[in-house]
Amino acid sequence: MKAFRPSRHRFVAVFEPEEAGTLSLLASQIITLLDERAARDSDPAMLRLLPDAYPDDAAASHEFRRFTADELAARKASNARRMIADLAGAARAASPTAVKVDAQGAQAWLRSLTDIRLTVAARLGIESDGDPGLDDPVLHDLYNWLGFVQGSLVDCLDR
Amino acid sequence: MSGVLERTEPVESTVLDSPWITLVWNDPVNLMNYVSYVFRSYFGFSAAEAERLMLQVHNDGRAVVATGSREAMERHVEAMHDFGLWATLARADA
Repeated sequence: MKAFRPSRHRFVAVFEPEEAGTLSLLASQIITLLDERAARDSDPAMLRLLPDAYPDDAAASHEFRRFTADELAARKASNARRMIADLAGAARAASPTAVKVDAQGAQAWLRSLTDIRLTVAARLGIESDGDPGLDDPVLHDLYNWLGFVQGSLVDCLDR
Repeated sequence: MSGVLERTEPVESTVLDSPWITLVWNDPVNLMNYVSYVFRSYFGFSAAEAERLMLQVHNDGRAVVATGSREAMERHVEAMHDFGLWATLARADA
């Protein structure tokens, strides 16, 4: 993996085929998770993807979700699909491949990487700053790598 | 909107005519540079103000990022959830 850097009107990062494949898989899992949200309303990951808008008022939170969750879930799924599409070439390649993301795509990537990181953190049981979470080195490595990918893209947009 | 938001004390200055607030809460996941970016790009804050609010979220656990009608605050909360930030709304005097 080579971090995102600005290149003309785009942002370019280099992904190993396995990295691109892993990120695509995670994005597709977010789509599945959102599809199944009706059956997952007590899933900690779902509560981070679609949080309570009124923490002290369950009825108002329910009402807010009723009016916003479908559209939010559709936008999150669309962001994930955009990332999968941008990664397709690199995931199929036999060697490290440049992935080019335009300005609109970058917005989808930032949001989808956030959704994936929120979900991985929920799976790791990371609930507060400094929380070590579950002892799962592979998942921690993945979580940190996702943070590196996203951080490098934010840095590009910050310039 | 941005004129109101750029004041140093948005709650106090508008509490009488704007009884709702949008809160963004600290979470262990979102990157500090991402939170600043969201505040800047969505609310139109200056880089300095976005950084100040981001640090307030990080250090104090939460920050008020907008004040206004309930409908407007619900739109902001939905937008924050779209970005993956942990946002809620509440009455300003609660």
